[in-house]
Amino acid sequence: MMTPMFLWEQVLNGLIAGSMYALMATGLSLIWGTMRVLNFAHGEFFMLGAFFALTAFELLELPLAPAIAVALLGVFLAAVLVHRVTVAPLMRQRGWDFSTIAATLGVSIVLQDIALMTWGERFQSLPYFVEGIVHVAGVRLPAQRVLILLAVIIVVAGLVTLLRFTRFGMAIRAVASDPEAASACGINTPAIHAATFGIAAMLAALAGIILAPIIAINPWMGVPPILKAFVVVVLGGLGSLPGAVIGGYLLGIIEALGVAAFSSEWREAVALTVLIIVIWLRPQGLFGQRIREA
Amino acid sequence: MLRLENVSVFYGAFQVLWDVSLDVPEGTTACVLGPNGAGKSTVLKAMAGLVPVRGRVLYRGQDISRLPAARRVGLGMSLILERRRLFTGMTARENLLLGGYLLPRVRRDERLREVVSLVPGVDALLGKRAGDLSGGQQQLIAIARGLMAEPSLLLLDEPFLGLSPKAVNEVEAIIMSLGRAGMTIVFNEQNVRKSLAMSDRAVLLEGGRLIAAGPSAEIGAGDIVQRVYFGTHVAQGGAA
Amino acid sequence: MRLLPAWLRASPRLWSGVALLGLVPLITRDAYVLQVLSLAMIWAIFASSWNLAVGYAGLKTFGHQAFFGIGAYVSALSAMHGGLSPWVTMWFGAVAAAVVGALVCLPLLRIRSLPHLAIVTLAFAEIVRILCSNLVDLTRGELGLAGIPPFTPLSVPGLGLVSFGPADRASTFVLIWSCLAASLAFLGWLVRSRTGLIIQAIRDSQVAAESLGVSLTRYKLFTLTISAFLAGAVGAVYAHFVLVLTPTSALGIALMVQMTAITLVGGIGTLQGPLIGSLVLTVSAEGLRMAGDHRMLAFGVLIVLVVLFAPRGLARLDLLFGRPSQAAGAAR
Repeated sequence: MMTPMFLWEQVLNGLIAGSMYALMATGLSLIWGTMRVLNFAHGEFFMLGAFFALTAFELLELPLAPAIAVALLGVFLAAVLVHRVTVAPLMRQRGWDFSTIAATLGVSIVLQDIALMTWGERFQSLPYFVEGIVHVAGVRLPAQRVLILLAVIIVVAGLVTLLRFTRFGMAIRAVASDPEAASACGINTPAIHAATFGIAAMLAALAGIILAPIIAINPWMGVPPILKAFVVVVLGGLGSLPGAVIGGYLLGIIEALGVAAFSSEWREAVALTVLIIVIWLRPQGLFGQRIREA
Repeated sequence: MLRLENVSVFYGAFQVLWDVSLDVPEGTTACVLGPNGAGKSTVLKAMAGLVPVRGRVLYRGQDISRLPAARRVGLGMSLILERRRLFTGMTARENLLLGGYLLPRVRRDERLREVVSLVPGVDALLGKRAGDLSGGQQQLIAIARGLMAEPSLLLLDEPFLGLSPKAVNEVEAIIMSLGRAGMTIVFNEQNVRKSLAMSDRAVLLEGGRLIAAGPSAEIGAGDIVQRVYFGTHVAQGGAA
Repeated sequence: MRLLPAWLRASPRLWSGVALLGLVPLITRDAYVLQVLSLAMIWAIFASSWNLAVGYAGLKTFGHQAFFGIGAYVSALSAMHGGLSPWVTMWFGAVAAAVVGALVCLPLLRIRSLPHLAIVTLAFAEIVRILCSNLVDLTRGELGLAGIPPFTPLSVPGLGLVSFGPADRASTFVLIWSCLAASLAFLGWLVRSRTGLIIQAIRDSQVAAESLGVSLTRYKLFTLTISAFLAGAVGAVYAHFVLVLTPTSALGIALMVQMTAITLVGGIGTLQGPLIGSLVLTVSAEGLRMAGDHRMLAFGVLIVLVVLFAPRGLARLDLLFGRPSQAAGAAR
C-alpha cells in the first residue's frame, strides 16, 4: 500500500493542507509578534471569510473575484472592530496577557453564535474557482487544490515584501520590536496594531475562502484550523514568520502521512500529538530563539 | 517653547509627579536634576507624551496635554529614550529611516545624509545590525534616529547611562554642538556637575516635586543641590 | 470563635452562603430547582479547581475540561464494567485525572510562556476528546455512554437507607452540597497554608519566588495535580449524577468556555468567586430560558464584558458582598 507513488501523492496533499495551516499560522504569529496577543478568535475570521464570500457570491450575485474582495474587506473591518472594542482597551490594563486570551475566546464564541443566527447551521459550499484536473509530477490533482497552493505562495511572498520593503511594513516591524520607541519615532502604534490585526484576519479569511469549495461552510468550521494553527506556531516558534510557513507545510505533510498510516478520524490527534512531542523535545519550536517570560 | 503647568503623573494608584510647573525657553539647554526616584525620567516622558498627565503641557503656546507621543513628533519634539531602545533586529540605517517616519520619502533620504554629517561616527555604522553595536555606538544611532524627525526640541532621557567614559565624551560633544546650533534641548543625568556645566538652565526635583528651577549657574552656586542630594532638605508638603 | 479553624473565620460571608445553600432542600422539594442548583454546585467545584490553577497559582491553563472528562469517564466505565460502587470509582477517576495532569504538565512547567501553556493544555484536552470519541468500542463515542449507575445507597443513622437515584433529588442535592463544602473547605485551608502562600507568591512574581529558593517546578506540579484531582473527582460526581456522558458534554471546549465565564464573572483568584459565578450564571440562564440555543452566546458576551469592565468579578464588588476576603493584589 505504501508505494512511492502513494507516498508522493500524500505529500502533495499534505502540502495543500499545509498551505492553509501556513496562512492561518502566519496571521496568528503576526498578531503575536506585533502585540503579544494570542488571538483565540482567529479561526472565526477563517469562518467569516467563507460566509462573507458565500453571501457576496450568492445573495449579492457578484462575480467570484469581486465577491472574494468584498469578503476580505468585510473581514478586515470586522477584525479592526474586534481589536478596537476588546484587544486595544485591554492592552491598556493590567494583566492583559491573560485578559486578551479570555476576551478573544469570548469573541470567538460570540462570532460563532452570530454566524449561526445569520446563516443557520445548514452546511453550505462555494463553487470551484477553477474546474479541471492538473497533472503535477505524475499525480492527478483538481485544479482548485493547485490554485490553493499557488495562492498561498503568492500571498506569503507579498506579505514578506510588504514587511521588508515598505514604509508600512517597517512600521509594523518597529512596533513589534519596541512599541514605545516606535511611538517616539512618530509611528501611531495603536493604528499599526489595528491594521496588523486586520491584515492577519484577512489571511485567515483568505484561507477560509479558498477552502470553501472543498469543505463545508458552517459556523464551527473555524475551530479545527485554529487548533492546527496553534500547533504550527508552537512547532515553528511563536512570532516567527518563516517558522509559521515552514511549520505549516511540515504539519500538513506529517498529518497526511499519519492519516495514510492510521485513518482519517485520527487526523486531528496526529497534529496535536506532534504538538505535545515538540513541547517535550524543543519547546522554543524549530525556529524560535528563546521562550519569552510570561 | 515648552511649558509644564501643574503637571501630575500617576502610575496606577501611585503619584510620581506632583504639580510640576516649569518653562524651557527656545534655544536653551535645560537639565533635569534630582536623586534616584525624583521623577526625572517621568518629567521627560510627560513632555514627550508617553505617560498620561493631569495638568497642562504647552508647546509653542499650544496645549498638547492630550496629544499622543506620535503626534508630538510631528510638531517637532523628539524623545531619545533611556537605554537607547533601538530596533535591535534592524540595521542602523533602518533605525534612522524609521526615525524619519513622518517625513516624505525624498526628504527622508535627504535628512539621512544631513544627520550622518551632524553626528560623527554614524556613517560607518549604517550597514550594521543595531543589536550588534556597542552601547556607545547605539547611543549615537539613538541620537541620530531622534534627529531624523527634524526636531526643534530634543528630549534626552539619561543619555549617558551605561556608557564608557570615551563614549560619554563623544555623546556630550554632540549634545553641546546641537545646543550651539540653536536646538532646544532637555536632558537628565545623574552627574550634577556635568549636567550644570552642559546646560543653561536647571530644574531640580525631589520626591516628584519641583524644588528649584533657574539658570544653571545660580542653581549650582547655591547649596540647594547639596541639600537635596545629601538628604538634609525636606520638601514642602513632606514628600516621601 | 477561636474554636473555629482559620479558614472558616477568614471568609464568614462565603460560609454563611454555603450554609444557606445547604438549607434549600428544607424549603423546597421541587425536583427542577434542586436539579438546577445541583448542577450549579458541580460547575462551582469544577470552576474552583480551575481557579486554583489560574487564579491562585497563575497557571493559565485552558484544558481542565480534560481532567473533568477523564474523571467522569474513568469512574463511569469502571463502575459499569468493574461492577464497583461509584463511591469507590470516583476516586479512580480523580487519581487518573491527577496522574494524567501531572504527566502532561511536566514539560510545560519549565516554560514560563503563557501562550504555550494555553495552547498545549487546550490541545491536550482536544486529544483526550478525540480519543474518547474515536474509541467507540469502549466509550460508544458520540452516541454517548448511557446506563451509568448512580451513587449506591448509603445507610445513614437516623434516616435509614438513603438512595441517590434520579428520583432522589433532595438526597443527591445534599451529597453534592457536601462535596462543594468539602472542596471549598479544602481550598480555603490550602490557600492559607504555607504551601498556598508560596503558590500565590509564585503567581505574583516567579523571579522573586525563585530568588528566595522556592522550587517553582515542584509547587506548580503540586498545584496542577491537586487541581486536576479535584476536577476529576467532580467530573466523576457529574457522571453519576447525570448518568449519561458524551465526549462533547464532558470534554468539549464549550465546557471550558462555561467554566471560564463562571470563574471570571464570580471573581478569579477568590474562594467565593466560582460559587457566586456559577449560581448567578446557571440560575439566570435558567430564569431567562436560555438553557437551549444561546447559552454559549451569553457566556461569550459575559467573558468579554467582565474582562473589559469588571476584571475583578462579582466577588469583589464590595457593595454586594462586603469586604473582599482576599488581598486586592490577587486580581490576576
